[in-house]
Amino acid sequence: MSTTETIPAAKSTQDELYQDAVRVYGPAVERLARAYEADPEIRRDLLQDIHVALWRSFEGFDGRCSARTWIYRVAHNVGASHILRQRRTRSQALVGLEELENLPDAASGLQAADRSQALDRLMHLIQRLKPLDRHVILSYLEGLDAASIGEIAGLSPSNVATKIHRIKTMLARQFQQGENDHE
Amino acid sequence: MNELHNNQSQQLWQSQPVEGIQMSAEAIRKRAGKFERTILWRNRREYVGALIPAVLFAFSFVRTHDILFRIAFGTLIAGLALMVFHLHHKGSARTLPGTLGASTCVQFFRGELERQRDLVANVWPWYLAPLVPGFVLYTAAYGRALPYPVNLGGMALLDGIVAAVFFFIWKLNQRAAGSLQRLIDELYATENSR
Repeated sequence: MSTTETIPAAKSTQDELYQDAVRVYGPAVERLARAYEADPEIRRDLLQDIHVALWRSFEGFDGRCSARTWIYRVAHNVGASHILRQRRTRSQALVGLEELENLPDAASGLQAADRSQALDRLMHLIQRLKPLDRHVILSYLEGLDAASIGEIAGLSPSNVATKIHRIKTMLARQFQQGENDHE
Repeated sequence: MNELHNNQSQQLWQSQPVEGIQMSAEAIRKRAGKFERTILWRNRREYVGALIPAVLFAFSFVRTHDILFRIAFGTLIAGLALMVFHLHHKGSARTLPGTLGASTCVQFFRGELERQRDLVANVWPWYLAPLVPGFVLYTAAYGRALPYPVNLGGMALLDGIVAAVFFFIWKLNQRAAGSLQRLIDELYATENSR
């Protein structure tokens, strides 16, 4: 499920690296922006900011980590910075994975009849999360393994594995809930 | 069953329609330039905010013939200059660093939180304290110009109002610094847990 395409190492200029990054990871970055901003207008600006940050960052890309790790770090870091900027105007407090399950409106079920409705609910859950937990769940949904998620986030693989276990349980419960609601 | 649900959620997530936004190199450069200009204007606005009272103080400095008032206005202008200096070096809005990809999410987020915490935690020494000497001198000059005991009442009222405003600003910022510190501690704990 994960994006397996790689960016050719021989490409070296900033513009080329950027174009390749967008070609391979553009859709993932767009999904990521949706998870960091609900308002379509502001999201468009956020997405453009991520693109600019990616382009600027490739000037200093030294290949010490994979391009995928680099791109996800840049995108998530811009997203986290966006959350911090919006902190004062946001009415809802962000929660961790542990607290998310206990929220009364979190148990609405993901197995909705309409896929877009299910996606909206999933997005709503993600947008309630604190930046680090948001990063882990997004990377998991993009199909990244625990080691890769740990490398991007700066967390130990076992720590990530614990978080993923929690995410899986929560998502499974959400789908189960949705199925029960339909019966 | 759990695996099936998890695959469903990943599938649901990855199959959502995307617009496929791709910016040309030209559009990227334009956007980067616009971003830099926005930051520049935001900082200029803050400098102008400090410049307005500085101009008023300078005007009063020129107009008054009382030496104590002159020293007070001069000290207030120096206090504002010190405030702007700190604003420029520590607190001005900035573009995101070009090394974003080299920092892990934990490092970057913690760094940003620490920067914000330092800004609000140091509101007293950087933004309020530089104005105190000038203000004390101003109230002394004001008190000296009025007859006794009106001068004492006036000085106490003025000092009380300003002290209350300063205390309120300081308290608000300390609270914000405390909540940022809790987030930082949480990040340290998450990073160090195995």
